[in-house]
Amino acid sequence: MSKILVAAALALLGSSASAQLPGLRKRDAQPQQPVLQGIDALRAEFAAQSGGTTVYYGTDSVILGAPARASLAFQAAWLRRHPEVVVSVEGYGDAGDTRDHALAVGARRAEEVRAYLLLLGVPAAQVSTTSWGNLRPGLGRAVTILVR
Amino acid sequence: MKHLYLTFLLLGVAGAAHAQQPAATVIAVPPLTSPDNGDKGNQMLAVGWDATQLIAADLGQTAELMPLKPNRDDYYSYPEVTAPTFSKWRSAGAKALVTGFVQSRSDGRLTVGCYVYDVEKGRELGRKGFVVAPSDWRRAAHKCSGVAYTALTGAPGTFDTQIAYVSEISAGATKLRRIAVMDSDGTNPRYVTVGDTMVMSPRLAPKATQLAYVSFAGGRPNVRVIDLGTGKERPLLTTDAISFAPRYSPDGSRIVFSMMTGTNCDIYSVSAGGAVPRRLTTSPGVDTDPSFSPDGSTIVFESDRGGTQQLYVMNADGSGQRRISFGGGWYAAPAWSPDGQWIAFTRRGSDGRRIGIVKPDGTGERLLTGGPSDEAPSWAASARELLFQRGSGGRNALYRVALDGSEPRQLTTQQAASEPDWSGVMD
Repeated sequence: MSKILVAAALALLGSSASAQLPGLRKRDAQPQQPVLQGIDALRAEFAAQSGGTTVYYGTDSVILGAPARASLAFQAAWLRRHPEVVVSVEGYGDAGDTRDHALAVGARRAEEVRAYLLLLGVPAAQVSTTSWGNLRPGLGRAVTILVR
Repeated sequence: MKHLYLTFLLLGVAGAAHAQQPAATVIAVPPLTSPDNGDKGNQMLAVGWDATQLIAADLGQTAELMPLKPNRDDYYSYPEVTAPTFSKWRSAGAKALVTGFVQSRSDGRLTVGCYVYDVEKGRELGRKGFVVAPSDWRRAAHKCSGVAYTALTGAPGTFDTQIAYVSEISAGATKLRRIAVMDSDGTNPRYVTVGDTMVMSPRLAPKATQLAYVSFAGGRPNVRVIDLGTGKERPLLTTDAISFAPRYSPDGSRIVFSMMTGTNCDIYSVSAGGAVPRRLTTSPGVDTDPSFSPDGSTIVFESDRGGTQQLYVMNADGSGQRRISFGGGWYAAPAWSPDGQWIAFTRRGSDGRRIGIVKPDGTGERLLTGGPSDEAPSWAASARELLFQRGSGGRNALYRVALDGSEPRQLTTQQAASEPDWSGVMD
């Protein structure tokens, strides 16, 4: 398996202080992006064509809102077109939560996203899940989908 | 990690435990003497002086005892170990006294003898001897501190114990996290993981022989177990499912933990040697942070099955689950005290995260810390104190707080530190 590359997630980290807002955050276009190849190119394409790699939840919520479902529909479509691409759905807990509960909530959020992607026809083998709880400050109440 | 050999010599114990006293008991700790003569005697006296200062430092860390500063001029002879001059210590204001000796043995090891007295009554309260390698004099001194503490308070001493924690170094935007273990006085820190993977939740076996923790080495969090003697490590389970929040049973034979199946997070129990885990909870939602009662019969845990995180207890086989927390706010991360009397918790509320205690029947709830970023309480073997993690300005540190309502005190660590876990007294 390739290393987790967090190009997409890192781009979001900068703006994650405002992760309070539920709903989809669209990534800004990156005009000076060099020509990407291999997995980087795949990631960039995935992010661009699926409208973002991160979906957000409400406080302590594991229920996918309408903006999140809309974003996931684009991602599912892209993944169906690229059956060779494996993604890791990575859940995050709430920053103010206790460590272990945050880990479980992050895992539930990731599982909810995976279940929704599968519902939209993405093969199960294409999607794995994990959780970072609140160990990585910045990405609270979110799920990022990383091309691996 | 080096192996410690420690033999206990029972010198016979006289006297009963003192009643608990509200104010700190002043205790004199004059320098340990030696029956040896010549150069050997001087060497033993030097070890004794180091041990004496360590004993005083240990006792000074407790809420119940206040040692007089050791003075090298307070030399006493070997026979005076068992026949102290009580009047001298009475006039110095001491209510209690520790005497003792360090003696060289023909096998190269040391005998350290400790005696505890009630100065007012002129009566011995306890004595114990320990045989250690010369390099383990610190452990013998910690054991002596334990003899004094137990004789005067009736509770186990926490001095010869280990503290596991997560050492945190900020490296740009990310934190380098390593599992570390140190002696309970903050000395001798050792790193158990190297920092190349995310880690959390170190939990020591009762006598600090093993450590369970959560590693993200495989990409998802899994419980792993390290033998602290050999350094050998293995996953607790054969499955790759997300597992976390491990805790040992009081006898060290089992580990309880949380595991995800789909969106459900339940509590399981498994032999510490690894086997097929047994599922203890089945409710939808998050059941986590299980902690055994000291007799191993009952488990306290947190669950959000009712909508918010609350504390529940159940029998060790999962039967008889019932909620015990009903105050305002959310209750998490429970830890059952070693004497069985209290359950410590982290309460999340509008005032942030604070540490509190409640009796196992849900009564007597009391908050011990002011927050707003406190979490992860872990009990001292004495059941009189807790360690916890406090965040301030983005940096975490370890604090200890006594149940008597005194202010928490910070424990010095080399780097920022979080998620403390305090072992029981070692063999």
